[in-house]
Amino acid sequence: MKCTRCKKLACVSLPSHHSGFCKDCYPLFFTRQVETAIRREKMFTHGERILVALSGGKDSLALMLELKLQGYDITGLHIDLGIPNSSNKARAKVENFCDMHDLTLQVLEMEKEGLPIPEVKAFINRPVCAVCGKVKRHHFNRIAREGGFDVLATGHNLDDEVARLFANTLRWDTAYLSDQGPMLPAAEGFVRKVKPLFRLTEFETANYAFLKGIEIHSAPCPYSGGASFTNHKKLWGELEHRSPGQKFQFYHGFLKRGKPAFPVQEETSGVTLTPCDECGSPTSVGTCSVCRIKATVRENKAKAEATQG
Amino acid sequence: MITVNLEPDGEVIELHGTKTVIAVLNRLKLRPSMAIVARNDELLTSDRRLTPGETILVRKVTSAG
Ligand code: SF4
Ligand SMILES: [Zn+2]
Ligand SMILES: [Zn+2]
Repeated sequence: MKCTRCKKLACVSLPSHHSGFCKDCYPLFFTRQVETAIRREKMFTHGERILVALSGGKDSLALMLELKLQGYDITGLHIDLGIPNSSNKARAKVENFCDMHDLTLQVLEMEKEGLPIPEVKAFINRPVCAVCGKVKRHHFNRIAREGGFDVLATGHNLDDEVARLFANTLRWDTAYLSDQGPMLPAAEGFVRKVKPLFRLTEFETANYAFLKGIEIHSAPCPYSGGASFTNHKKLWGELEHRSPGQKFQFYHGFLKRGKPAFPVQEETSGVTLTPCDECGSPTSVGTCSVCRIKATVRENKAKAEATQG
Repeated sequence: MITVNLEPDGEVIELHGTKTVIAVLNRLKLRPSMAIVARNDELLTSDRRLTPGETILVRKVTSAG
């Protein structure tokens, strides 16, 4: 196969775009997709300060590098979850990457926040991933707000978005269907949230990461019981293979025609948000859910220690 | 024989009678957009031919999460 742009030997084939690219032209394709996403969804401008959530996976690192190459004002934020034998590796990867590419990085340690994830697992009687996800979103938003950032960017790609949309459509989760998308405007207490990689598939991001030398080999989190969307992603991989472009059409069609059909429910439900008594994050109940989880961990831990002796 | 380093599983698989990238992917039950394939530093499209004795990397792209 030949490169669509320069006719040299192609190294990446993209049936959904009816094209193939060589190693020099492929990054240009990737850049153009990110530029289009940022421009069409009005995500941010070169005058704004962007906080990028860095998990250590290929998507978030690829996003960080690409935004730097496009000249944006970016700062990375990594949350060290405090999980033995796992979090330290993810953190080292992010730190090395940021060092190598001269990127500004902040690290938040859950241990210091009084809520390391192993304690959530031990003392909170709920699925650890649900709480972990909530805690991460809480701190990303809090740090973005406190640091005066205009926008929070995450590395979600088209496959992530399609798998999530598909799962929520199967359930007809109207609350989700009314307010999801690649750009969520700021609201009282919440910064704007954007997903600049939403036009790119996991395959496309993986190729970019490989060509840019981003090492993605990493052990999964020991608490992940096989991520929930993996089966849907497999199904969609098969659909996409049979009709290339299907993923993008499904997601794009949702944004254009599906989403507007679901009226935003939050506005009619009449809850008013006020700053949390303890941390200042927006909440409807005085003390926010993350501060309450923290208190519960403290209580249950003390009880456990008391009974032990 | 083609030696495949399969990631992220960390397995090493030896395949006989596979002369192209697509044949390797078929054998592994992967569609071309489900994994990237590389020989040393070079990414390979699925129509590329392979020479017996070569070692290639097949890295599945689906991230868990
Ligand atoms: S797998 Fe679960 S516990 Fe581990 S980082 Fe992801 S959400 Fe947190
Ligand atoms: Zn080219
Ligand atoms: Zn709080």
